[in-house]
Amino acid sequence: MPETSSANKTAFEERRTREKYCQHWLKTQKKTVSKLINYAAFAGICNGLLLLLQAALLAFILHSLLIEKQSLFANLNQLNFQLNTFFSGLLAAQIPYNLPENVLLPAIFFLFLVMMLRSCTVYLFQTTGFEAAARIKTRLRQELVNKLIHLEPNYLKQHQSGELAATLLEQIEALEPFFSRYCAQQTIIAVLPLLMIACVMPINWVAGVIFLIAFPLVIFFMAVIGISAAVASRNQFLAMARMGGYFLDRLQGLPTLKLFGQAQRELAHITYVADDFRGTTMKVLRIAFLSSTVLEFFSALGVAAIAVYVGLGLLGKIEFGPAKHITLQQALFVLFIAPEFFMPLRQLAVFYHDRAAALGAADLILKVMDAPTLSFPQTNLTDFKKLPDLSLELQNVSKKYGERTVLSAINLQIQALEKIALVGESGAGKTTLLKLMLGLETASEGMVLLKGLPVNPDFASANITWIGQGASIFYGSISDNISLFNPDYSAEMIQTAAEKAGVSEFSKNFPEGLATLVGERGYGLSGGQIQRIALARAFLKNVPIVLLDEPTSHLDEQNKLLLLDVIDALFKDKTLLIASHDPAVIARMSRQIVIENGRLL
Amino acid sequence: MKDLKFFLILFKPYQNWLLAGILLSIITTLGGIALLTVSGWFITSSAIAGVTVVNDLAASFNYMQPAAEIRALAIVRTLGRYGERIITHEATFRVLAQVRIWFFAQIIPLATGRLALLRSGDLLAGMTSDIDALDGLYLRLIAPVTVAVFGLSAVLLFIYQYSAVIALNTLILLFIASVIVPLIFNRLGNDGAKAIVSLTANFKTQQIEILQGLRDLVTFQAYERFKNKALRVSDRLIETQRGNNRLTALSSAITLFISQLSLLLTVILAAAALQQGEMSATDAALLVFCVLAAFELITPLAPAMQMLGKLQQAAQHIREVATLPPTIVETQTPLSLPKNFDLALENLSFRYEGQNEWLIENLSLTIPQGSKIAIVGNSGMGKTSLLHLLLRFFDPQQGQLLLNGANYQQFNSDELLSCFGLLSQRSQLFATTIRGNLLIGKADATDAELNAAIAAAGLESFIQKLPDGLETWVGEQGLKVSGGEARRIALARVYLKNAPIILLDEPTEGLDAKTEEDVLAALEMIAKDKTLIMVTHRSAGLKLVNEVYQLKAAGLSKLPSIPEKLEQVLLYSD
Repeated sequence: MPETSSANKTAFEERRTREKYCQHWLKTQKKTVSKLINYAAFAGICNGLLLLLQAALLAFILHSLLIEKQSLFANLNQLNFQLNTFFSGLLAAQIPYNLPENVLLPAIFFLFLVMMLRSCTVYLFQTTGFEAAARIKTRLRQELVNKLIHLEPNYLKQHQSGELAATLLEQIEALEPFFSRYCAQQTIIAVLPLLMIACVMPINWVAGVIFLIAFPLVIFFMAVIGISAAVASRNQFLAMARMGGYFLDRLQGLPTLKLFGQAQRELAHITYVADDFRGTTMKVLRIAFLSSTVLEFFSALGVAAIAVYVGLGLLGKIEFGPAKHITLQQALFVLFIAPEFFMPLRQLAVFYHDRAAALGAADLILKVMDAPTLSFPQTNLTDFKKLPDLSLELQNVSKKYGERTVLSAINLQIQALEKIALVGESGAGKTTLLKLMLGLETASEGMVLLKGLPVNPDFASANITWIGQGASIFYGSISDNISLFNPDYSAEMIQTAAEKAGVSEFSKNFPEGLATLVGERGYGLSGGQIQRIALARAFLKNVPIVLLDEPTSHLDEQNKLLLLDVIDALFKDKTLLIASHDPAVIARMSRQIVIENGRLL
Repeated sequence: MKDLKFFLILFKPYQNWLLAGILLSIITTLGGIALLTVSGWFITSSAIAGVTVVNDLAASFNYMQPAAEIRALAIVRTLGRYGERIITHEATFRVLAQVRIWFFAQIIPLATGRLALLRSGDLLAGMTSDIDALDGLYLRLIAPVTVAVFGLSAVLLFIYQYSAVIALNTLILLFIASVIVPLIFNRLGNDGAKAIVSLTANFKTQQIEILQGLRDLVTFQAYERFKNKALRVSDRLIETQRGNNRLTALSSAITLFISQLSLLLTVILAAAALQQGEMSATDAALLVFCVLAAFELITPLAPAMQMLGKLQQAAQHIREVATLPPTIVETQTPLSLPKNFDLALENLSFRYEGQNEWLIENLSLTIPQGSKIAIVGNSGMGKTSLLHLLLRFFDPQQGQLLLNGANYQQFNSDELLSCFGLLSQRSQLFATTIRGNLLIGKADATDAELNAAIAAAGLESFIQKLPDGLETWVGEQGLKVSGGEARRIALARVYLKNAPIILLDEPTEGLDAKTEEDVLAALEMIAKDKTLIMVTHRSAGLKLVNEVYQLKAAGLSKLPSIPEKLEQVLLYSD
């Protein structure tokens, strides 16, 4: 696969800019829950501090046992008894009275408590983190759902509903680990190592200095390796991106490949590309993995250096630093701390792909957030009652989709109670004209006025009802579909609408009448039945203007006439505009508006 | 489990890589444990040697060797970690490639009939993420579990040599902490997990419903209600997730606590043994450090247990799709393709699986070689299904299709496809160069053939304007091609394929007037000596044909003449 270096560079730069943008967005999201993230981080830091305490207690106990030769059990014969009382004492939350004087038992009991507390911090870290993520998830879903309604219809057309629903669902879920643990862990690594060094310093300053030097070194080397890996991946960026998407691309194109007899050939190619992809990716990973190796190296080196230093100090073989006066207790303490010192960093490395996943999800979420929206002039609704009866007016309206002009220079006035047929071939612009009146689209030029005021979706939907081609049926009962779950409509009102629109005619044959469930998982409805439900919907809404888009398509002659009678009866006292090229419809209307190639004749 | 096992067998060719990765991982982990254990033992020994007899014993204590061991182990640990990561990832990539290739090979016979029934776009996108999830099978499940089993066995055997009680105590507590506790909590979270799946599906359906009915909801002022309903589902989803998260958190807390308890008990048991004189002080320290270091082995186990369910689901899903039956059965003894390409449809009746009513009923039609016909009809009448039958994506339930008098089912379906060139309203472009996209039409096309195809499809000026010409990359990581250009590329492919029968499925749908005109002119030229079958509901393409048939619920009827305005014909038809 040929990739020129300039194409690679552009692709990489594009990606980097986008990534920065996503990163910035994640940061602003993080700020909204910083309190919770700080609580989670606090729980994590407490865990680290308790770990220090645990190390100190263990070191004390071992020192007492091994060097001071203290015994844990006053009398060996009492061993069984002691163990029993120790545990029953814990369970009863009281210390047995008959214990002999012993410093070790309280220490062990204390150690037990510390271990319990550590478990509590682990619980709190996870639950607090979850709350942080939950808040962001809830808010983002709200924002996105509010956004959907304003999206440009064209954008919606180009994107499958499933894809958008996935953004609301899976992509938002994918943000969770980032906010629930990664962010808190970032805070932890900024604080905990310093606290650990501060605790180790007074006990053994040489060990403290080892940590103090190792920590920035690890960060430095990890950064250097990170940059080298980024350079390596930058050189391969385009190739890797293309190979990464190869499988899905060919899988989705399989029907085409098969049609052209290329499926088997492509199978061989997939093998080849997968090999190539592995080779290229491993080249980058070989560098990237050095980063965890560095961490491992310093962690192992830390343990080894401290063990050798304190060991030789205890033997009296070296005199450097506090080596001469070192005790086993101190030595054990620093050795316990050594492997734990790098633990928070290691944890962050484990969580690292949370960040990558969040960036990927942010990219998709932002695509929807930043998608083009329709904007309408604000209309002051208190004014419109004073305005004359003139219902709808289009002043020199044009509509373009990109290069394509759908409507040009439309001037039209519609008076109240007029009955109008909007006539034209399919593709002449009828539907677009209706959408402009409804505020579902914005005009490229000119003004659409409703009662003399510029139209917007809220204003339009309060005054106009509309039945498009292929009305939507939602999961629910037929009644729900007529009222669209509006609790303001009583059952009687719905019943009346159903009867007038001819819904009852067919619903009475259904198992549960108007209560029959329809929609995706419910009873299947025919096109004519759906039309009638839509008519009932429009009738129930009872607003002055009614727009119907090709109401008779997909109906046979007999049903068509029935439907037209229903329409006549339902909307007698309304302004009615029907888009159609059906002579039967046109004949019934008092006025004709003819549209051809986007112009009125 | 059965599904996971299936994939394990699929991994077999790479078992050496997989085993090497696990082996290195065991060495690395044990290296780390040994490092801490020896270090603990070393400083305790040093302390005791230093305290007891300052000169004698200290002098006799060979401190050089353990110090060297410590350094060696630190090196083993570091290098081992690097090697382990490289090998396990190399293995994962190989295995993943194997799974992809297997899946692609499995799915080839399912195209196009079965895939057409499955809303393939969403399905296949989901498939790749399921396949990607399988990389966790080795990296996050098998490798850590195997390492834990062998590593723990080694550590326990080591401890056993010093104290059977401590070995037993460690075994039991670590087993409870890392296996029993996660399993119990997974079980407790089962109902929640199921509720999460169904709420997720519920939320998604509602969203899709809202998006598809958006216009109705806006104009009927119902959007707020539907929106709030969906958001309530989201709230319930989060509430359920919260419950399950609490369980997971509790599980990690208890796992940590029980594993720490094993350390505490080790200290107590060692103290008892020490007091009874059954154990030396240095050994006691050694055991405490060994148990402490062994926690590293069980840390990845709890996530592995959580992974198990997800992996099972992914594996099951992949296998379900891969083992779907094809919609047609290939004959074992195919006829070779004839020289003559007369087509005939005899009493054809067809419906999709699960439908009760015929979509196409008792349809007959003869299409001699070289004839040019259009089949028109309103949407939903079965035009596209008829095309699918002609391409043998499906077999009819009744009646038969004949090629040169022989039943379709006597031919190999791939060979049969080679007789057809299809141009449809969907032009599939692949993420490759324009040349690569054209070569889909004919893999071994010469430059001259390519140029002829480009000229025929009217792509010359488009390609001339591109700085990289034919080598311009198309698709997500390259040039965004407009719908019209994509259609022209698809047209060039049909030209290159040079099949005797040209099928057109709404070939100019969604094109602007100029492109439509060009495409139709090109098609007229391409189909000059060929059979041409077009399905459409638009007038524009009808000038290419000599006969027009209308598909209605009642059947197929020939129109007396070629209609000027097809819309009028269709409107009054049903």
